[in-house]
Amino acid sequence: MAYSDKVVDHFNNPRNMGSFKKDEEGVGTGMVGAPECGDVMKLQIKVQNDMIVDAKFKTFGCGSAIASSSLATEWLKGKTIEEAQKIKNTDIVQELNLPPVKIHCSVLAEDAIKAALADYQKKADGTTSAAK
Amino acid sequence: MDHQHTHSSNPRELQMARSMCWHCQSEVSGEYFCDRCVKVQPVSKETDYFTCFGFPRRLTIDPGKLEAKFYELSRAFHPDFYQNKSETEQSISFGNAATLNSAYRTLRDPIQRVEYLLDLEAGSVKEIRNSPPADLFEEILELQDTLDEYRASDRASDAGQQLRTTLQAEQQTLEERKRDMETQLQQLFTDWDLLQDRGEATSQARSERDRLLKQMRETLSNRTYVKSIINDLVATIG
Repeated sequence: MAYSDKVVDHFNNPRNMGSFKKDEEGVGTGMVGAPECGDVMKLQIKVQNDMIVDAKFKTFGCGSAIASSSLATEWLKGKTIEEAQKIKNTDIVQELNLPPVKIHCSVLAEDAIKAALADYQKKADGTTSAAK
Repeated sequence: MDHQHTHSSNPRELQMARSMCWHCQSEVSGEYFCDRCVKVQPVSKETDYFTCFGFPRRLTIDPGKLEAKFYELSRAFHPDFYQNKSETEQSISFGNAATLNSAYRTLRDPIQRVEYLLDLEAGSVKEIRNSPPADLFEEILELQDTLDEYRASDRASDAGQQLRTTLQAEQQTLEERKRDMETQLQQLFTDWDLLQDRGEATSQARSERDRLLKQMRETLSNRTYVKSIINDLVATIG
């Protein structure tokens, strides 16, 4: 099975690889795994005034998993929290031209986005209630 | 719902669901051959792999018994015996042999066996969602950084050698952990079988059942993560 050009490009030149400190202000961390294949994905967002100003990822897995998370961080940057919620795995499949056997990689990326957003929300709620 | 999981000790009773013989229309009670006309009967799609071999749904299986039963049934469906039979019988026996092959491959391997049982007992694997093991994930990702560092390094250099030593030690630790998980699975197998043998329908038994299934799923998942990073390690440092 051949990877699409876009997958190869993200794989060879992954965007936004790395990580933020978990406890840094405005950082949300999503950590997900696919127990079927053993892939692990960590996706982080940095939020300022409801806007995602930066995003980073680290992925242990196949080329499609790396490409999916790389693309996800690219898309996340500059989006509001609300807009980010709307990113669907099918968008990733379409953009990267993923074959059916690799759809689970895009699902993992969507899960990672959701988990990062939820983590950010949880932290933000905690800060506001602590301030009250 | 638990009634269907309890098995009687008589395998004749629990084989394929009662149906009609395709040939003589007499009732067949889940045997591979019709009692009356002795024609081969197709394995129903609903028949699970344990039942195919006349085994109860237990996780500890005697490999010798499994193999013996497999050979016995393989002989029963061997194409040689069907050369002079009708096309229907040939295709039924062929189909049965294929099903038995998959069943044997699945049940022979303890990991595939428990994966299969989880599918049967808990529906799709995805229905049991465990919280992801964050610590293990962090560890895997950190290890991956070290692996990348090693790949980029000059392997002959001191730094390269040192990274290699670190990675080798990591590999050993991980392999040990994988073995621990397998031992833990063995224990869960025993617990599961004991629970099934007791055949209680109490709410306590039900929650014990769910707990065991959840724990098996969790241990299996963690094992897969550990296994995949070990594979990566082995491929990199050889």
